[in-house]
Amino acid sequence: MSSDDELAERLRAGDEKALRTAYERHGAAVLYLAQRLLGNRADAEDVTQVTFVAAWTGRDGYDPQRGTLLSWLLGIARRKVVDRLRSAARDDRATETVRTQLAPSDDRETPERIVDRLVVADELGRLPEEQRRTLELAFYDDLTHPQISAVTGLPLGTVKSHIRRGMASLRRRWEVDGAAFGSRSAGPSRAL
Amino acid sequence: MQHLDPDRLVLLALSEEQEELTESDHLAQCAGCRRDLDEFREVAGLGAECQDVHDLPPPPERLWRAIESDIGRTRVREAPVTDLAERRIHRKPSRRWAPLIAAAAAAVLAIAGTVTIDRVLDGRRTETVTARATLSPLPTVSADARGSVRVLADGEMEIDVSNLPLTTGFHEVWLLDPDDPTKMVALGNLSDRPRVVLPVPPGTDLNRFRLVDVSDEPHDGNATHSGNSLLRGTLTS
Ligand SMILES: [Zn+2]
Repeated sequence: MSSDDELAERLRAGDEKALRTAYERHGAAVLYLAQRLLGNRADAEDVTQVTFVAAWTGRDGYDPQRGTLLSWLLGIARRKVVDRLRSAARDDRATETVRTQLAPSDDRETPERIVDRLVVADELGRLPEEQRRTLELAFYDDLTHPQISAVTGLPLGTVKSHIRRGMASLRRRWEVDGAAFGSRSAGPSRAL
Repeated sequence: MQHLDPDRLVLLALSEEQEELTESDHLAQCAGCRRDLDEFREVAGLGAECQDVHDLPPPPERLWRAIESDIGRTRVREAPVTDLAERRIHRKPSRRWAPLIAAAAAAVLAIAGTVTIDRVLDGRRTETVTARATLSPLPTVSADARGSVRVLADGEMEIDVSNLPLTTGFHEVWLLDPDDPTKMVALGNLSDRPRVVLPVPPGTDLNRFRLVDVSDEPHDGNATHSGNSLLRGTLTS
């Protein structure tokens, strides 16, 4: 699997296959974000389309030093969603819809939260297999360390270190790439 | 000051164990450990939500095709149309293609199932020419690549090319609207021949679609312009 750096380089060189790789890797996440924010599949597909076209025409603007390819794509998608909601509001036919869409009733469903979730999920998918399995048992199945040890047959100490390292990786990625950090000032002095 | 052990912070964040009193005291005083715990809690919460997104279905393939076709269009738009027009002014008029030595036999080849007719021109054709163009190489193509085009009164277009770069795909001929190069008409391919005759679809407005474009197309099953133009020239009557 080629790294974001490699992909970025190929993108900048105008290699269309690199965009295809980015699409295969992150198209589903972009579509998910758009659908969550717009609440409608057809519009979400449109946004996904314009997002990848914009990524192609604006490929010189991607800097791997400043974030992963996924967070860059999700950032473009968010702007495209906002554009779409604004133009819908201008059309005036959907003002009411826009208002309800911009104020989601479930406050966990802010755009930031969705982006954070996609970023953490992406990082989880990049962890070494055993680390990832261990964390999934803790997150999804709510198993304790001893239970995970029993299920997997891994020594308790190994489970502990998998979870500690895995959590540290997820946290690092979230700090670098998460919307919550991206939209505020990045760094350790996060407002509590 | 004794900070909380990272293993311990993770256990607390996962709500697997409860804070001891001494730990609560420390957390109340130590902003660093408090932030660590808060962030691990946040990550644990996000981690639990990952179940919803960890195996998202891939978007439909038609979405990719739409992206690909939009990109093909932007690349054609990026190709320097005006630049070519300037280059043509400084270029000496290209030598009219010399009359061919009468071919021993004019092979007429109609390929079943396609509208393309390849024909070896034998010099005896005397059709009226309604428009012509001199094709010049784009900046990325070697300077000796060239071509000439004649549109005949019967609606066919003769194209004569030389020194085109080799391709692993094929060379395709297009008519573009220079005012909006995303609009174009595909005429057919050169089939590795230096000279072909292609029918112009009836009704094509050659005042609008006056920019002749020869492109390098990969065998990717994508019918849109690859964006890789080799030669261009404007039809004049
Ligand atoms: Zn501390």
